[in-house]
Amino acid sequence: MLRLVFRRLLALAPLLFIVSVLTFSFTSLLPSDPVDLIIGDTGTQEQHEMVRERLGLNQPIVVRYVQWLGRAVRGDLGNSFFNSVSVTGAVMQRLPVTLSLTAVSALIAIIVGIAAGVAAALRPRSWIDRLATVGATIGQAIPNFWFGLLLVAIFAVNLRWFPATGFTPISVSPWDWLRSVTLPAVALGLSSSAAIARQVRSAMVGVLQQDYIRAARAQGLSARRVILKHALTNAMVPVVAVLSFQITVLLGGALIVEQVFAINGLGTLAITAVRQQDIPMIQGLVLVMVGLVVIVQLATDVIYGFLNPKARPS
Amino acid sequence: MTARATDSGATRSRRPRWLAGGSFVIVAVAAAVLALLLFLAIFADLVSPYDPLTQNLMDSLQGSSAAHWLGTDDLGRDVLSRLIYGCRIAVIAAAEATTIALLIGVPIGLFIGYRGGWWDWIVMRVVEAIVSIPGIMVAIVILALLGTGLHKAMIALGILFSTSFLRLARGVVLAEREEVYVRSARVIGASDSRILLRHILPNIAPPLIVQTTLTVGAVLLAEAGLSFIGLGVQPPDASWGTMLSTAAAYMDLHPFLAIPPGIAIILTVLSVNLIGDVIRDGIGRGITVAARHDTPVARFEAASAVEPSAAALPPLRPDEVLRVEGLQVTVASQDGTGVPLITDLSLSIAKGETLGLVGESGSGKTLTGLAILGLTSVALRTTHGSIMLNGRDLRSLSQREIQHVRGNEVAMVFQDPTTSLNPAFTVGSQIAEVLRAKKGLSKKEAWERTVALIDRVGIPRPEERARAFPHELSGGMAQRIAIARALSCNPSLLIADEPTTALDVTVQQEILDLFRDLQAEFGMAILFVTHDLAVAADICDRISVMYAGEMVEMAEVGRLFARPRHPYTRGLLTAMPHASDRNPPLPTIRGNVPRPGTWPAGCRFSNRCDFRIAACERRIPLTGTNRLVRCIRAEELSLEAAQ
Amino acid sequence: MKTWITRSAFLAAMALGLAGMPAWAQGSGTFKYAEQVKLITMDPQKQSGSGVPFLRPAYESLFEKGPKGETVPLLATGYEVDGLNVNIALRKGVSFSNGEPFNAKAAAANINRGVKLGIVEGLKTVDSAEAVDEFTLRIKLKEFDPAIINTLCYTGGMMIAPAVMDDPALDRNPVGTGPYVHSKGESREGEVQVYTPNPTYWDKDKIGLARYEVWEIPDDTARLNALKTGQIDAGNWLSNPQAAIIDRTPDLKLIRVNGGLNYHVVISDREGTVVPAFADPLVRKAMALSIDREGFNKAIQFGLAAKSFQPYGPGDWAYDPSLEGVYEYDVEKAKALMAQSKFPDGFTFDMPSIPVYQSRLEALAGFFKEIGITMNIVPVEPGTLARRSRTTDFPATNLVWNTTTDPKFLALRYVYEDANYNPFKTKPSETMLALAKEGLTSVEPEVRAPAYRKMAAQLAEEAFLIFVTNAPILIGVSENTAGNPTVVYRYGEDSINLRGLKAN
Repeated sequence: MLRLVFRRLLALAPLLFIVSVLTFSFTSLLPSDPVDLIIGDTGTQEQHEMVRERLGLNQPIVVRYVQWLGRAVRGDLGNSFFNSVSVTGAVMQRLPVTLSLTAVSALIAIIVGIAAGVAAALRPRSWIDRLATVGATIGQAIPNFWFGLLLVAIFAVNLRWFPATGFTPISVSPWDWLRSVTLPAVALGLSSSAAIARQVRSAMVGVLQQDYIRAARAQGLSARRVILKHALTNAMVPVVAVLSFQITVLLGGALIVEQVFAINGLGTLAITAVRQQDIPMIQGLVLVMVGLVVIVQLATDVIYGFLNPKARPS
Repeated sequence: MTARATDSGATRSRRPRWLAGGSFVIVAVAAAVLALLLFLAIFADLVSPYDPLTQNLMDSLQGSSAAHWLGTDDLGRDVLSRLIYGCRIAVIAAAEATTIALLIGVPIGLFIGYRGGWWDWIVMRVVEAIVSIPGIMVAIVILALLGTGLHKAMIALGILFSTSFLRLARGVVLAEREEVYVRSARVIGASDSRILLRHILPNIAPPLIVQTTLTVGAVLLAEAGLSFIGLGVQPPDASWGTMLSTAAAYMDLHPFLAIPPGIAIILTVLSVNLIGDVIRDGIGRGITVAARHDTPVARFEAASAVEPSAAALPPLRPDEVLRVEGLQVTVASQDGTGVPLITDLSLSIAKGETLGLVGESGSGKTLTGLAILGLTSVALRTTHGSIMLNGRDLRSLSQREIQHVRGNEVAMVFQDPTTSLNPAFTVGSQIAEVLRAKKGLSKKEAWERTVALIDRVGIPRPEERARAFPHELSGGMAQRIAIARALSCNPSLLIADEPTTALDVTVQQEILDLFRDLQAEFGMAILFVTHDLAVAADICDRISVMYAGEMVEMAEVGRLFARPRHPYTRGLLTAMPHASDRNPPLPTIRGNVPRPGTWPAGCRFSNRCDFRIAACERRIPLTGTNRLVRCIRAEELSLEAAQ
Repeated sequence: MKTWITRSAFLAAMALGLAGMPAWAQGSGTFKYAEQVKLITMDPQKQSGSGVPFLRPAYESLFEKGPKGETVPLLATGYEVDGLNVNIALRKGVSFSNGEPFNAKAAAANINRGVKLGIVEGLKTVDSAEAVDEFTLRIKLKEFDPAIINTLCYTGGMMIAPAVMDDPALDRNPVGTGPYVHSKGESREGEVQVYTPNPTYWDKDKIGLARYEVWEIPDDTARLNALKTGQIDAGNWLSNPQAAIIDRTPDLKLIRVNGGLNYHVVISDREGTVVPAFADPLVRKAMALSIDREGFNKAIQFGLAAKSFQPYGPGDWAYDPSLEGVYEYDVEKAKALMAQSKFPDGFTFDMPSIPVYQSRLEALAGFFKEIGITMNIVPVEPGTLARRSRTTDFPATNLVWNTTTDPKFLALRYVYEDANYNPFKTKPSETMLALAKEGLTSVEPEVRAPAYRKMAAQLAEEAFLIFVTNAPILIGVSENTAGNPTVVYRYGEDSINLRGLKAN
């Protein structure tokens, strides 16, 4: 297992490198001069040059890239163009927010998805199967931000069970954190629940027809044990592959759902950075997101290897 | 097409089962929704009651009325009209982004698939990099470059989604390339590239269509999302996303504003996805090879259940372990009446005895084994008969009780050891699990006993092998493990379902020897299911021959081989020398076993029988005492054979 | 005691060392204020547009506004105007929170820095500043400026510690003389800025809080929810649905602060460099006529505002009642003007937008569409509208003008060739220039008023500033805040005076 992790980490370096080259060269193509955005047209030529030099924009892009990379590997992603805020600091400050949202919604998606998928697979063509399948099909068609608006209208504005907006860090109050993260996480997790449910159902239906399930039943193992241990472990193999993709989707979806709930996470930071064309911030954000995705993939690979011994390196 | 046929289809893909199960209506509705969308998009100017941008600030945030069916928004604009114009944006958005994705992705994918080398390497690394960034972030970054607006947002989404088309096109080229390469190696001089092109087009079309429908749905959702956060369509233009963006500010005052655009998005995406599912399944059917036959029946006409006849029963013996009488298993059919799969089956096995159950595939042998265990699939039902195991009727037991019986009193070894062992767990843990669950052993005891069992079935280095996963073992070794597991609780009856069929001939013999050894040691009765008469002759004491769901002959092994009395048995015996090549067409018996539901009314073998007479049109009873046969000409035929 | 601290460098250093200790602070409790715009910079001289609530805790200006809008000394103690020289007597015994003494040298450095940066528009008339003696500051003007003291009431008069003036990180590390100091450690970027008592403050009795927080909540609904749930004690709002909800929620109160926010459209490209049609006065008049200000007020501002045709509202000394209704909504007349213009078929232009103005601009786009003009709404990042409006990125913009501002700023902002919001450097008309000059001849409002009334009429005639509505400054507060006697709303500003503010 350690070797698998190690091998993935090795593969990670070139990926991050390519992403960094991509974002760096891409953001350097931005149409407007960031210096103009910073000082406005009223600035003098002298001020212009000053800012340009402060930002290092007077150097060729390759030099800038190498310098940036040198700092980036040490964890310093530079400063925002618009204020003295460090990119690493800003991203790290928002990261827990987006991470809690993504993690809770992933948890919801996994629990709901597996429960619905298994329930549907156990009794194919029963009402519960139909309900789950119809639910999953519709669930995948519902925009997460719209669902969020709906949840706010019902559970926050009318019933007042949850706060309509905002985010409480878990360090401040775990209970308030849970309350603040529930509605956005449910909104975000809906379509992933649906995707996972569909995947679990089809995998489970396939697995339940396998000989080893019959063999386990023939040994007199209880239906519960056979389904939850023997069938689910195997059904999870394709699901885990989907899961890694779904978490990437959730991370992206969080960017939008954060807006519905006025949550100050990476999404708000990203949208601000894009509107301001704050290049270091965009670069840093992309890199951190890729880092997150890679960590998730690594984790799912390990789980995949655990569930599917054939995938383990011998 | 019947419900049965779709059953096997549903297990194949992620398609919602209810879709094809007579839910043609839903597909029609989905198509109608999309047609309506297209209509509204084209004729928005004519259809919508108001100009979508004409505001009336004095009439803002009105509810539904005769003048404004869906009310008005914050600026007093007609919500219905804006919704209709939103259709146009949705159609443009979907068409634009999907086209861009196709135009970027497919040519590049074809190119790198064809060129290979470092072109391929570089592009694929870039694609991997893009795919590892959350899609919406990619779109946002591209929008930073392009600026906001519908068309720019669609270019961003087009670039984003082009990666999936690129990978798809590349995959098709690579697959075809392989094939063409093999072929052109034989036909020297043929141009690779021309053949390649000729092959790619027909192969790429179906998955492209599927991918396109998937993309359209995704684009619609992404467009709404981007417009919602203000990076897509810009107000005052009416898109569903911008309408929702406005609605978000008025959730406290006028939450209804969020409903119409939301429903429009959901309905559209849902319709596209549903149609996509149907297309995918339709194309999937064309590409993938015929579905596996999970159930023994695929097609049949409703047939009435056969009444069990007062047939001859096997003689009662004092040391009987299993006694089955008049067993009938049916499968539920569409019209509610059951179609029989096994009829009027009676057999018995004594302690230490091995009864062979022999017949071609489809004769119902395996099903008999499963029916004894009560493990037939949900659609199958045991309707008649009794299954007495050690004096208890298993049919009368509760789920709990029968679960207790399984493993403890009766166990089963399956045909293919590589599929009957769970690939996710070590083989040792699978045996230990049974011991812990059935015998209540501690973890340590169970493990020790497991190692001992593995040792007993003749596997060297048992401690080490116990920690192996099924895929790390050879077929023969895996089957020994399966046998060890079956015997772990010392059952009095072992059902062995073609336990040697999937193995190499040399290994077969070892496994048969193992069965014999173990039977000598544990004294269990064995129901040995096989199509291979040679194997049956080797291991069985008595043999029952099954044909089309019923027993046609039963005799002590030596006598059966010496003087088969049923024409079918004779056919099998004649075919025996060929049976060893594991591919058992029985050349001397013409035709195939008829499927359940299409059985001849009289003797079920009559349509393949060389000795058929008019009397065979009636139901033929099983006759005899120690030796049973179901043929009215048995006497004369046996005489004939003896001559 | 005041002099005691400033005289003893040793004690001052000790005080610094103890800065973080609450035992030293006199105040108790926390007050939480929510700001609707994002924090761009905490450097007062680089700050444009709103966001003053982030600055007030740490920075003090030389003067401030009294309850009736009069100027009263704060860091200054008095002033005298001597031709183009303004001599200001400074308060003694004040030190910056980094220990540096506040004196004429420091004040002069501040003014000169502001002049050099050129962002604070009120300082445009200033040539330079110098220290006459330790506590007398002399500001030399380029031209006579009746509003210079007014300028020093706001960011132009805020005093930054000289040592940090050139620090690029000043935008997040304010060092001033204010009653509170910024706590970087406790602040969270983009979320909340935290201020704690300034142990070296010159007027300790006025420190009533142990902690002051300014929350950055640009989302109107989120800010409303925060107020409802008690997460914040007060916050500022524009006249929008959420403000209307506060107004009708029983346990919340909507305070209408003195001074108004005049929402107007600015035609920046009035020579037609990018959008030729904007050079045609008929087009601009047609646009002014096409706006249904009453409907706008009702639907967009929920009746919290009043229609407006000039920079000032009733009650302001520069207000001209005769201009009322000069561009009363008349779409037929507007269409007729368009038909007469050189652009009868209409045209298209881009308009920058921030989320809080989104619905306003949609409404305006709807009005303009009626007369054949297509206005594309281009979102810019909240907090950057003012800055972007100073660039040639957009041929027109939309801004809010605070009606407490001295009318000379009308010229400084919009009229002069180098005015801040005249990015296309359009030369003003002779008439306009003459009126702008005339307004600067005296410090007496009664003398100046006729010039500015004429200027308002001239603005209406040239119609490159299209005034829409005038709304009071709105601060939404909780019931407790409403009942707190120490809460004093700053005149003409969307903030609460921190001197003497105690927790609810």
